[in-house]
Amino acid sequence: MRFFQPLAQFGFGRILAETRTHYPLSPGLISIEKPESLEGYSAHFDSTLVPNYSSYDSSEIKLLWNLPDAKKEKILHEANQLSLQPFYPSYASEKLRIEDYDTYLKEFLSLPRIGEQSFYLPIDQFESKKIDEILETDCSLIILNDLSKLFNNQRKLAEKMSYLRTRLSPDIGLYLPGSVSPAFYSFLTYIGIDFFDNSIAYQVSKNGYFLTENGVFPIDSHPPCYCSQCSSTPKNIFKHNEMVLKNALARVNFALRNGTLRTIVEQDIHRNITFAATLRHLDTKFGESLRKRTPIISSTKVKCLGEESLNRPVVSEFRERVKERFRPHPSSRIIILLPCSARKPYAMSRSHIMFRNAIKKAGSSIFSMLSELIVTSPLSVVPRELENIYPARFYDIPVAGSWSEKEIEITSNLLSNVLSRYQEDSIIINHLHGSGYEEIIERVKEKSSIEVIDTSYKAPPTSHQSLQELSEALVNTKERFSLNQTEKVISNTKKIQAIADFQYGPGTGKRIFHGKIKLKGRYPRSPQIFRDDKHIATMHASTGYLSLFPAYTKEISKISLNKLDFGADYVSGSNIYAPGCLKADTHILPDDEIFVLYEKDVIATARALVSGEDMNKMTSGKVAEIKKKKR
Amino acid sequence: MKINPDFANTIREIRDKTLGERSHSRKVVHWVEDHRLHSGPGKAIVFILPTKGCSWALSKSGGCSICGYIYDNPQEPNFENMMKTFKEKLHDSIKEGENYSLKLFTSGSFLDISEIPEEIQKEILEEASQYREITEIVLESRPEYVTEKIMQTIKETIDIEKIEIAIGLESANDDILKKSINKGFFWEDFEKAATRIFDVGAKVKAYLLFKPPFVSEYDSIKDILQSVSKLNKLGVDTISINAISIHRGTYLSLMFEKNQYRTPWLWSLLHLCKEIKSKYPDLRLICDVVAGGTQRGAHNCGDCDKQMTEALKQFVLSQNLEDLNNEFKCSCKTEWNSFLLQEKITIS
Repeated sequence: MRFFQPLAQFGFGRILAETRTHYPLSPGLISIEKPESLEGYSAHFDSTLVPNYSSYDSSEIKLLWNLPDAKKEKILHEANQLSLQPFYPSYASEKLRIEDYDTYLKEFLSLPRIGEQSFYLPIDQFESKKIDEILETDCSLIILNDLSKLFNNQRKLAEKMSYLRTRLSPDIGLYLPGSVSPAFYSFLTYIGIDFFDNSIAYQVSKNGYFLTENGVFPIDSHPPCYCSQCSSTPKNIFKHNEMVLKNALARVNFALRNGTLRTIVEQDIHRNITFAATLRHLDTKFGESLRKRTPIISSTKVKCLGEESLNRPVVSEFRERVKERFRPHPSSRIIILLPCSARKPYAMSRSHIMFRNAIKKAGSSIFSMLSELIVTSPLSVVPRELENIYPARFYDIPVAGSWSEKEIEITSNLLSNVLSRYQEDSIIINHLHGSGYEEIIERVKEKSSIEVIDTSYKAPPTSHQSLQELSEALVNTKERFSLNQTEKVISNTKKIQAIADFQYGPGTGKRIFHGKIKLKGRYPRSPQIFRDDKHIATMHASTGYLSLFPAYTKEISKISLNKLDFGADYVSGSNIYAPGCLKADTHILPDDEIFVLYEKDVIATARALVSGEDMNKMTSGKVAEIKKKKR
Repeated sequence: MKINPDFANTIREIRDKTLGERSHSRKVVHWVEDHRLHSGPGKAIVFILPTKGCSWALSKSGGCSICGYIYDNPQEPNFENMMKTFKEKLHDSIKEGENYSLKLFTSGSFLDISEIPEEIQKEILEEASQYREITEIVLESRPEYVTEKIMQTIKETIDIEKIEIAIGLESANDDILKKSINKGFFWEDFEKAATRIFDVGAKVKAYLLFKPPFVSEYDSIKDILQSVSKLNKLGVDTISINAISIHRGTYLSLMFEKNQYRTPWLWSLLHLCKEIKSKYPDLRLICDVVAGGTQRGAHNCGDCDKQMTEALKQFVLSQNLEDLNNEFKCSCKTEWNSFLLQEKITIS
């Protein structure tokens, strides 16, 4: 059994907890010496610092974890030990001598209780096949003692870290020893580091420097600080510097719990060119492995501040899912392209209320043959049906009116892809205005043969003239289709079906939400969904996603992409552990609602803690929490 | 394999760049210093003989990763001049009524006949045996040159009890010898050489290196302690702990320039002296700090360096632990403590 288990996952960053007690330990700070109070520390090294003859046999360096006393009794072991085999050449800048590392590996494997040992992994061994044997054991803490060598090489740093993090099981902790500026804790946590240490506080304060989150200042001229250490006389510089580290880590910790880690990473990387470049590399080259580990069911603000935001994992996941999973309702004939609004959801904004009123003028029966697409950046295309879910309802972007080349390319590609799903004789009503939008429509026209009617070409979309044109265009086009339109589709059903497709996989919406669908309860309450007067699902107002009752999920379990094969016919307790998980779909993202299957029969619904790919790698610890069991 | 070919090649490349810059001739360097003799405090006459230098350093294996003494040796030795000055200076240095230890260093091996021909070796020893005041003669050599034949010749030339063969063992750990120093011999070789020396009745002095490259200070302290107990079991009664000083033109110097190496702390030496002397009180423990207090030698924070090197010097002369017992109060002691652990984690 490994020492850690992940409790939540956000990109490569995770909250690691002790496996038995579920007590969260990472992202954590490790103290080099035994601290006076353990507050703010995850662990400390315990050793006789100067070896002497009497301590000669037992002078292994132990890493003691900071657990509450009540929880300490519960766990089997509480210490990680630094393995004591000599492994010198890692420190040299010359290439690592392979034979030396081989001997180290052999000696490490022969150690007693490998789960309690720390393993050294130098950067040039990340890809080697030799460490496979180590990874199969219970080894839970890996020390990356020379990772900081890569801090000036963005390409390699992105490549190596994403390779390592996808190769390792998520319950293995990574410890980056040495001086790391607290300004980079957020970024390094995001790319997978779990533990830092306070050695920078020792180094900086002993040399007479004052640490702040914005850098290091000489002791005689530094920005004022009003913390209790600084206001006492004499000032305790070391304590102050240490506190800065603790605060910086607490901020990362909080962001990870809140799901806002990516936002603070995007703010923080602007302090270091290499890290900014590394993030862009990660997003463009290794975006898929990041995306697979980023939850999409969330309710935090998505602040898209810079260029990095265009490739933010949730954003690209949304685009990917619209492309793969969104299927327009077959009765859709008229497609309206609308601009986005600052207020979310779009339907609540002033401009969209005006559009709606203009559409209504063409008669309310038009809604069943209508499909509205909102064109925006960075999400590109948001179908009206999906406007209430994360991230469409939660993103915010500074609008300057101009579109970058990259944005135009991504948006037009996705838009023409979505438009190709509609029937050939559909009509596009283009109610977009502005040079960026024009460029997008130009590119779409090249690829698609569907007829386009511009209604907001001359004046802004909310102007009286444009709205009038919109109504007229709708009345004209309605006449063309009114004959073959028989079925009446309720827009709520359309919406729920689209969300189900988006969440569980294409085709699932139609399978489960057929017949008479009724919603009870309105925003801000979570609407309850009834089918033929039976309560079958809930739509969460906070996130916009659905949860289904296990009894009804059997209908879609075959085609859904959120399945987990469980090893028994009954789940006891409220958690699913890794040994019970036979196989999980690789489409599962952390926090997703998943269906627990036993021989093709759904026995429960659960909330995933880690991504599906990582569930398959884990050998111990929780992988999901049960939401509802089938009675 | 007692060497690591890759490592040896790297050292060799560095060595080749600097070797050509050596001077063609050099004078005999000598000085007199305070020294701890077996009988008590006394004086030492140190001679550095300008031979061609250490054969190991000149060999294809490149020599030790830490040693740059070879650059002080001349390219072509002149034995005639050497003997002339040696005799003159020895005569001038000796004053009646004092006890002297004569240290004959070549920055290589005295017993290596390719460095000093047999007849010159004999001549030097014969010259030294003429003085009653010289009670000890220290000869440095690598263990492979300590043959039974050569020990017999020495026995015939001079009172063998005066002779002390100093061997640079550096560490009793074969891993360190091979991977970090590139020493070219192992503990077993030293053990055999030492028995050969004991068999004829001479004494052995062992040099231990404190903090070789790639080894953290924490591990190095442990290594020294281990080596000392091994040496003590063997019967070696004089151990000299040499804290590293960084010579130019060496592998270690390159590491130092890249900020990958910090020379040892004086605190560690202090701790070692206390620890070893209290465990083995009869042992003659020598700890000469070369370049103490500078960046390239053992140093602390800068404030307490001078005081501490003085104390260590005093201790070596008196061999009395009380000299080290006065309280050193410097804030850098806590820094040293945390440094030990930090370094241990980053250098596994």
